[in-house]
Amino acid sequence: MKDPIIKDVTVRDNGTLPGDAVAMAAAVVRERSADALLVSASEITLYVQKRLASPDTNISCEDIPVMLTRMVDENEDLHSLAGAGSQWYYSSRSMTDAYANILLQKLEGPVRLIAETVRHNSSAYQRPVPLELFMAPPFNLTHQQVFDGLETMAATDGYEDIASTTTSASGVYLYSTERLEADHAEMLAEWFHVGQAENP
Amino acid sequence: MRGYGGWAGKVLSVDLSTGRIWCDDTIERYKEYLGGTGIGYKVMWDEVPPGTKPYDPENRIIFATGPLAGTSAPSSGRTAITTLWPTCWPVPLVASGHMGGNFAAKLKYAGYDAIVIQGKADRPVWLMIEDQKVEIHDACSIWGQGIRSATCAIAEIMGRDSAVAAIGQSGENLVPLSIILSGASHSAGGIGSVMGSKNLKAIGVNGSGSIRIAGKKEEWEKLIKYHLSLLGANNQHVAPSSPQPWAEYYDPTTRWNASRGHRWGAAAHPVDTGTCDPHDVNRIAYRSNTAAFFLGDGVWRHTVRGNGCASCPVRCHTILKVPSVSTKYGIPAVGQNTCVGLKFGANFFKNIPGGLKGAVGLEANMVGLHLADDLGVWCNYGQLQRDFIKLYYGGVIKKKLSVREYGRYSWSKYEKGDPAFLFELLPRIAAKEGELGTVLGLGAGYMLERWNLSEEEWGKDKKLGYWKMGHPKHHGSDEAGQCGLLINLIYNRDAVCHSHTNFIKNGLPLHVQKRLATELWGSPEAVDGLGDFKPMHRSKARMAKWALMRKELHDSLSLCNWMGPWVASPLRERGYAGDDSIESMLYKLATGDNKDREELDAVAERIFLLHRALTIRDMGTKEMRTRHDKIPEWVYKDKSGKPPFTKGAVHMDRNDIQVARDMFYEELGWDKATGAPTRRTYRKFGLGDVADELAKRKLAPA
Repeated sequence: MKDPIIKDVTVRDNGTLPGDAVAMAAAVVRERSADALLVSASEITLYVQKRLASPDTNISCEDIPVMLTRMVDENEDLHSLAGAGSQWYYSSRSMTDAYANILLQKLEGPVRLIAETVRHNSSAYQRPVPLELFMAPPFNLTHQQVFDGLETMAATDGYEDIASTTTSASGVYLYSTERLEADHAEMLAEWFHVGQAENP
Repeated sequence: MRGYGGWAGKVLSVDLSTGRIWCDDTIERYKEYLGGTGIGYKVMWDEVPPGTKPYDPENRIIFATGPLAGTSAPSSGRTAITTLWPTCWPVPLVASGHMGGNFAAKLKYAGYDAIVIQGKADRPVWLMIEDQKVEIHDACSIWGQGIRSATCAIAEIMGRDSAVAAIGQSGENLVPLSIILSGASHSAGGIGSVMGSKNLKAIGVNGSGSIRIAGKKEEWEKLIKYHLSLLGANNQHVAPSSPQPWAEYYDPTTRWNASRGHRWGAAAHPVDTGTCDPHDVNRIAYRSNTAAFFLGDGVWRHTVRGNGCASCPVRCHTILKVPSVSTKYGIPAVGQNTCVGLKFGANFFKNIPGGLKGAVGLEANMVGLHLADDLGVWCNYGQLQRDFIKLYYGGVIKKKLSVREYGRYSWSKYEKGDPAFLFELLPRIAAKEGELGTVLGLGAGYMLERWNLSEEEWGKDKKLGYWKMGHPKHHGSDEAGQCGLLINLIYNRDAVCHSHTNFIKNGLPLHVQKRLATELWGSPEAVDGLGDFKPMHRSKARMAKWALMRKELHDSLSLCNWMGPWVASPLRERGYAGDDSIESMLYKLATGDNKDREELDAVAERIFLLHRALTIRDMGTKEMRTRHDKIPEWVYKDKSGKPPFTKGAVHMDRNDIQVARDMFYEELGWDKATGAPTRRTYRKFGLGDVADELAKRKLAPA
């Protein structure tokens, strides 16, 4: 993890916390978000501890939850998400909730990323998604990861709703059978992959 | 000019039979028709009698801009070219082609809003326009040459900053499927042969003037910034195709395909398009890579940059560099185009190694776009290629050609998907060589007639995409339900209307579209999910009417109906709303003519009515509902076998479509029984003389 450049940090009296801990934590979250990244509670803590590493200004383990809670409470743009074994933070100044959720699912691994993305697209947008979606930014999975993920889903309870349809031009699209009817998914996949290009 | 801004003030007329050149005052004669197609239809109504054929000297070809051309209004680079259409079957009727590039702006700077060409020169000529200097020049040295060299030859004379609109060998040889092309790739399809019939090879234009904005400079600049803030990507898609940090929504099918990691790989210094936050209006040009959208992600590495029209930040024509085509096929490595023009070559092949989006497909497309844009061949919005595949694999070509002619083509190359085959085919279309070269250039309707094939049968095959009168569907019922169907009824060519499809494919989720639709057309029922169509609703008829009025308004103001309307935006803080008044705001400030949105919409309706009146007059019947507004059979069929209005079925219901027509004609103030505008409606929109003329011919219901 590279050290972020902290700008405009105001040193304030934060009660039991060392003066600028909350502001430092907020700044690192904003900077990570500007780079389209989530930042974990432990990363924030490490960073703040490193910056405050002197006998007078270090923070204790008990201070950390207080610091993180205050950071979110005192800054409207900062939000937290739980998952992938941690608490994660982002700033809505440069990242939407939707994007932050995708990043979190990415941290939870290819299987969950693919499944939740497919389910979200099937329910919120009523559409299947092409496999290629997962190989492009921000998903950035390899071909192998995608196929391994699909194999895992096929052999694991809890993913029975994830189905695929193949277009006349051999495009593979994924959808959730609980949220999108098979005929509808098939028609939409054919349109997206073949029909749309014929109706430019 | 009576103090109006926007307009240049003069309409230039040229009679090529006599050599006479004169000007009319735009405001006096055409202000109530704005410009563009408005001027085009008015000239056709006033000056071209019924029964005139496309290649008759009496036919006019009108190159018309609108009051926003040459201003800094975004996407204001369009020229509408109106004439009698040679591919309109079985009777040629009025229609318009639309050309981008710099021609419209240059014409305005030279002092003209439009050029009306009539007559026929006694030898090949080209027209030179440099401000007040308008001259007819001998074109013998460029007649017979392709568009590229003809354009270069004229630019050598007029200067590199001139704009040239030219035809290729196809137009010279009176091939109905011909284009007029300006710049490197801005074509108006279907009408090159009308120029050819007048022995007019090209028009070169340059101007040193400017366009006056009637409003205050600060207000104009503020309005332009506001309009820019509402812009999305190509086709006004407002959600990105992949998740972006700034975006609440995404849609893999939109043309907003910029993303960190997507690079213009063939630029001198490769450029990363970045995430393209919509608030950064200086990066609008990076939002779309049209070639990557159509030809696949593999073309990112061949992308030099986007190109486009005067005053348009969207740059929908992608410049590609494919070095392999120079050595293999002897064509330039660099080429550019947009939309179907990008796919001109590969679309001829049923099978191509690696598929349409593979490396050979890309080479075929480079061959296709270079040949088509030099020879001046039009694809009829892809119908040419679809017809060709059907005719070949259906055995019709073999049956219709002599053994000798059939043997002149390397069919094995064709079946293998070898791009070299295009060098055998396209020059023969442009030269009308042999039966096949001739018949393919006729357009679908006349091709069917000549080869004694059934239009009805053509209309049953959904894959052909054929609609009526020799032309294909253009964003029809399969993607836009009843609204798309209604729009495809009206014109005498493919509909070329994007107002509706740009809205429904803008990438916003359906619940957001429905919220916006409620504000625009009075009900969320106006829009349906794709493949989840619902029965006809009055708001769908309102949306269809709105779409057509916006199209005519854009075509008359020189705004681009491919990029607009701007009724949705990428701005979350606006609830993704755009502004349906942007056209009238621009018009009012540019010209000083204080028409609000409703008043300007009424002008659009007048223009649209005049198109209908011309169609009725020249067909000699008011029975539009049965004889003109036809629907192909495939619209009612679906391979799923499900009934209409079930999920996954895209076909329409016959009874529902009758209801849709009724509502549509009612919304327009047209007679439901015939589909013809009533005299009252003509009068309501200031076309009393048109009503009287049609009434005299018994062509206007009371």
